[in-house]
Amino acid sequence: MKVELQINNSTSTGARFVGWTPSPCRIRMTDRSGATSLTVNVQITARTTTTGGAVVFRRGTTGTFSTSITVPVPITGASVPFFIAGRFGRPSINNGDVTIEARVGTTLVGSVRCMVRVRKNANQLTPGERDRFVAALAQLNNQGLGRFTDFRDMHTNVSSPQAHGAPGFLPWHRAYLLDLERELQAIDPSVSLPYWRFDQPAPNIFTRDFLGVSDSLGTVQFSPTNPLQFWRTDGVQGINRRPFFNTGTGAPSLRTEAQTLAIGTTYSAFRSMEGNPHGSAHVSFGGFISSIGTAARDPLFFLLHCNVDRLWAKWQRVNGRFDPALAASYDNTPSPVGHNLPDTMWPWNGITGGTRPPTAPGGAMASSPSATAPGPQPRVRDSLDYQGIVNLISRLGFDYDDVQFA
Amino acid sequence: MTAMAAATAGATSEVSEDDFAALVDALAAGPERRGELTDLLREDHPVYDQRGAATVVRMRGWVLLALARAGLPDAALLYVLEELDAGIDAYLVAAAARALRSRPQPDAAFAPFLTRALGNIRYHDEPVSFDGYGEYAVGANGTSPVREVLATLEWLGPHAAGALPELEALRAQPRGLSRKRLEDLDRALETVRAGGPAGEPGGDCCALPDGLSSWARGFRRGGGPVESVVFEDQEGGTAGFQELFQGHPTVVVFFYTRCDNPLKCSLTVTKLARVQKLLAERGLDERVHTAAVTYDPAYDLPERLLRYGQARGLRLDAGHRMLRATSGFEALRRHFQLGVGFIESLVNRHRIEVFVLDAEGRIAGSFERLHWDEARVVERAAEVLEEKTDEPAPPARHKAASPMLGTLASLGVAFFPKCPVCWAAYLSLFGVAGLERIPYSPWLQPLLAAMMLINLASLWFRGRSTGRRSGFYLALAGALAILASRVVPGLEAAAMWGVGLTLVGSAVGVWSRLRRPVLHALR
Amino acid sequence: MAEKKKAGKSSKSARKAQSPAKKSPATKKRSARSALATATSASKPVDERIQAMTEAPLAVCAEDESLQKMLNVLRNREEPIEVRLAALQSLQAASFAVLAFESCRADYIATLRELVEDPDPELRQRVLGILARENDGFVQKKLLEGLKKPGKALVPPEKALQLLSYDVHSEAYPIAREIVKNPPSSEAKREALRLLSADPAAVPVFEKILRDKDELAELRQLSASALNSLRPEKLQEHAREIVLDKNEYDDIQAVSLTALTTLGDEAEVTGDAELLKRVDALKGEKSTKVKKSARRFLEKYGE
Repeated sequence: MKVELQINNSTSTGARFVGWTPSPCRIRMTDRSGATSLTVNVQITARTTTTGGAVVFRRGTTGTFSTSITVPVPITGASVPFFIAGRFGRPSINNGDVTIEARVGTTLVGSVRCMVRVRKNANQLTPGERDRFVAALAQLNNQGLGRFTDFRDMHTNVSSPQAHGAPGFLPWHRAYLLDLERELQAIDPSVSLPYWRFDQPAPNIFTRDFLGVSDSLGTVQFSPTNPLQFWRTDGVQGINRRPFFNTGTGAPSLRTEAQTLAIGTTYSAFRSMEGNPHGSAHVSFGGFISSIGTAARDPLFFLLHCNVDRLWAKWQRVNGRFDPALAASYDNTPSPVGHNLPDTMWPWNGITGGTRPPTAPGGAMASSPSATAPGPQPRVRDSLDYQGIVNLISRLGFDYDDVQFA
Repeated sequence: MTAMAAATAGATSEVSEDDFAALVDALAAGPERRGELTDLLREDHPVYDQRGAATVVRMRGWVLLALARAGLPDAALLYVLEELDAGIDAYLVAAAARALRSRPQPDAAFAPFLTRALGNIRYHDEPVSFDGYGEYAVGANGTSPVREVLATLEWLGPHAAGALPELEALRAQPRGLSRKRLEDLDRALETVRAGGPAGEPGGDCCALPDGLSSWARGFRRGGGPVESVVFEDQEGGTAGFQELFQGHPTVVVFFYTRCDNPLKCSLTVTKLARVQKLLAERGLDERVHTAAVTYDPAYDLPERLLRYGQARGLRLDAGHRMLRATSGFEALRRHFQLGVGFIESLVNRHRIEVFVLDAEGRIAGSFERLHWDEARVVERAAEVLEEKTDEPAPPARHKAASPMLGTLASLGVAFFPKCPVCWAAYLSLFGVAGLERIPYSPWLQPLLAAMMLINLASLWFRGRSTGRRSGFYLALAGALAILASRVVPGLEAAAMWGVGLTLVGSAVGVWSRLRRPVLHALR
Repeated sequence: MAEKKKAGKSSKSARKAQSPAKKSPATKKRSARSALATATSASKPVDERIQAMTEAPLAVCAEDESLQKMLNVLRNREEPIEVRLAALQSLQAASFAVLAFESCRADYIATLRELVEDPDPELRQRVLGILARENDGFVQKKLLEGLKKPGKALVPPEKALQLLSYDVHSEAYPIAREIVKNPPSSEAKREALRLLSADPAAVPVFEKILRDKDELAELRQLSASALNSLRPEKLQEHAREIVLDKNEYDDIQAVSLTALTTLGDEAEVTGDAELLKRVDALKGEKSTKVKKSARRFLEKYGE
């Protein structure tokens, strides 16, 4: 007897990644030999290592999760749905460090390896996680010849009005990060975008093996084994970043996480975080990251924005602000195009000219084997319900290590 | 060298910025020298050679301001509109907006250019100084591109009625322009609305003022031989000019990957991708090729070209390539008479330029400076595909014939009937006019009248293909005069006028077709 | 530099004062308007003003009066330098909100231009950096003048070169080449090389430095990267030779292995038996850097 386990409703190895948000899965019988009834009760559990990820299961879209479920599987080969979620606080470190097992009695009838992949605090990555992320990023840049060029071109002085200074700031950057993360995962699926908690010291980020150490001039130095030494943007080699705080022991002077979450309970109030802590974090350095037209030339930009997005995610969870239909979830004051809930977002919509920038670099939003949303041309509203809390189909396929599901 | 000694033609990269400024000021003092000032706006003018982009901005800006003082001539209008259309440098956009106000008359066709300029520059507004050459605004002094554009819209007044919706939307934005700029906007709105709510028609977005064109549809002779040019494509394959551009029409654009104005190179290559799609929709994508050629061949290696093209949706295969000249770039530059300047191998300024080449690799259409219409380029390529056997295009190279001989030959052709039908037409003309001298010929009059109609039809079709119908209208007037001489008592003398007009009309009709080669030969 | 004395603390101490993440009095919430009033009031304590400036950067563009007050603080040499730097940072943070900052931008840029010759070197450097990143012709002209005439220099040559490298179209190549030949400092040489890393004419310079064992490892590392961008086939060739050279320094061997791993031509590398054999031997090297890079190389191309 054999069963097939489909993670994220797919048999693809690229789909075998879950977060805290429940992933839709299926089980079906592929070899009925030995079956003595029309349905067979199959127990689904997970095996992991002490440092590996952990998952939990449930049968439907509601109810409690448990470490094991029993599913009656028809011998006809018809699929039976169930859900897997990472157990909060137990993310994976390596790809495939969790094994989902299906047993009939004590007989193993099917298994797949998967990963609890969530966005983590960059300061706490293992050396392996750090090196994989850095290698994928360097490959995406490929000395200024890689797909990263599109991401650099999406965030320039010319395109900045699409994404800054109005309500769409947070939704646009959520889509932007997701697009980049999916490209990184196409290179190495075990990678997720880490975040820089800019309100805390993060000495492990500013090392020669990770995002580099700045000299007094602001030129960033890398170790000889770090592929980011070949980082190149706008034709010029290297990164300029001159910190105005002690990167070994200190943090920039800006709103803490608690202060940010306390800005207000409506999105209209909360979005003032674009100034502080977001803007304040950018200008806690000199160099690329401190000007809007050059900020995306520094890899740190993406870690900084990942934290901005995490703060929004946390605020959404604290205040229940996932539903676009809820007035407090967004600022519905009529705004320039690209900043209103029903608007599609540039550049993924491919619209150019007029009030949009002249070109749309990068094409449509990258797809993911583990989530169907937001589709190739996301709208502003598609960024809000990132965990699929209001509508399961809206799940974007990422989670933060410290932001629970629902 | 003093500034005055350096005539514009002789002004080179050796001229200091101060001398250049003095030269420009001197030229601006004499209205008859505005042509020389305009010549200084050419990107490939030697005076810009080996200057950095910021220096070129200072120099061109000063020329635009000189034109603003002297009065903007027709020949410089295209440069000004180009700056408003695709410029992102604050100083140049501001100078262009100011120069436009020196036109003798406002024109509704300017309004869309100004609103585009406003869109391009409003989030990058910054102070600029027009006080002296090379001066930058420091502190609160000076003007700004947004201020200048708004002032020019105010000058346009009711002629800018087409821009009202955009201006009103800008006014309605809760946190948009600064208080000072809002005052400028209010003044502009007041004068624009003065024509009434409807105002004058604003014209469509892409119309140009009368008499101005950025599109040369006809054949043009290349500026020099290109056989020596060797290209490398995005895959690293090499080929010569003839191999790439002969046997099929080709749409060619120029760009470079380090271009920092997305309204130029990035958009040009994106639009070339649209051209490819339009060609495919018409089933012409195999018969008409496309090529994007870099201005920066030393830096734009094949992998860089490939990446740039792919990111902009360009189809890349044997018929559609991105190219760099691995040798002979200078010849290529001369051949296409490219509007580009360099500092070492790096571009310091360039215009937008698109070419349609015929199956012999000759330039059969070109577009420069303003945003081009992809459909129009495809249309021209399709025409070239059909015309390849009967078009009297000039040979692209090895022109040896004497210019004067060519001219005389052209005139001879103009006045000499060119085909049996033309013979009949000529016979008709003289026959109808001189019918009285024939004793009796009741059958001859309708026959000759029919032949005259054939001549008119021939001129009509000729005019349609060249876009110039003046010959037809002259011949029509001639025919009507002859007709009048036959039917209206007392107007017999009109017959001779009719003959004259018909002859001139025929000559003009032929001349329109031949004028490009003749003008080239005369040059 | 009398004005500098008047300005109170030096910028160095100002930076130090800013460095720790100060979460000082600011836990209490106040309106943006009240924060701006505190920030721009000379009678308030310096720490309180600095804190107020960070609180609500976006509010500065809500009213023209607020902006002008903030710009006055920034340009006023009588103000404590920490307060001026905080004002600059606050405006910079606000400038990220492009749509909301539209009404402020022209006055902000104009004020920055006023400050490029400010006596405080830290403020001057920051302002030059902001303008250079906008490809500001005014600043490029000043920086080039300073490189040609050191008496007029607003910042050290290495900083000027770094700032000029923001715009590939600036006319800095000739002076950068001159600095590579006769460098006033090793930092200046490095920044000149970094600027030239986009110049196809500089390929021979990078080849020479990469193969010169007397050059600093940092410059050789930079040359490898530049070469790979300008002439990838040349880097592959040089990196191979460096890896095969048993007398090369560990750092450069590690850089070459990393370059081959990240950017090498896969077909060529996998077909190179001599190289693979050598890298296999390098797995057992004492140097951790070489070992690590050899292992990554073999993960990609070996076995």
